[in-house]
Amino acid sequence: MAEMVCRECHRILKGQTCPICGTGNLSSDWSGMVIIIDPQKSEIAKKMGIESKDRYALKVR
Amino acid sequence: MSENGDSVIYVVKTTANQEKSVAIMLTQIARKDRLDIRSILAPDELKGYVLIEAPNVSTVEQAIQTVPHARSLVKGESSLDEIMHFLTPKPTVTGITEGAIIEITSGPFKGEKARVKRVDEGHEEITVELFDAVVPIPITIRGDTVRVLKKEEQA
Repeated sequence: MAEMVCRECHRILKGQTCPICGTGNLSSDWSGMVIIIDPQKSEIAKKMGIESKDRYALKVR
Repeated sequence: MSENGDSVIYVVKTTANQEKSVAIMLTQIARKDRLDIRSILAPDELKGYVLIEAPNVSTVEQAIQTVPHARSLVKGESSLDEIMHFLTPKPTVTGITEGAIIEITSGPFKGEKARVKRVDEGHEEITVELFDAVVPIPITIRGDTVRVLKKEEQA
């Protein structure tokens, strides 16, 4: 099954709803990936305003 | 180290089209071996490379040892400012203006030339009219499936 991305938080997930936002507003058309492993120390996470470790898409259509 | 705290961006060369799988594998290894890798970036624009945010080069060297498709570490380091543009990708319709002549690069109209009638930045779509069509029918296509031939033509 293709991985989906939540249009609101950009998380890459499997399934039909985003476990964090609780929304079903997902997209299979996404590109680019950023994996945040340590949100406290990561400068990229700070710039993107990400506070939890996860996989995120850079662009969602 | 860098001016952005102690995070530095290192670039790892990978096999083409394996960027995402390398990023996922590196994440698993970083968690398992408790390596201080803070984030991994695999932008679509950068084919054959992944960017790793870590405090020092030895952490990255250790992490890529056992990862298949991770080929080598690029010498030197990048700053966060240099990779900022990857974090906020531009819409694909940037640079396409109304009146421009484009060529469709994929789909059923591949190879057809057309004039842009409307640009929808929000949906990243453009509406075009094909040159070779007998009756001018507007067609809406994705902005990333076209190539601009001529910027804007005064009618």
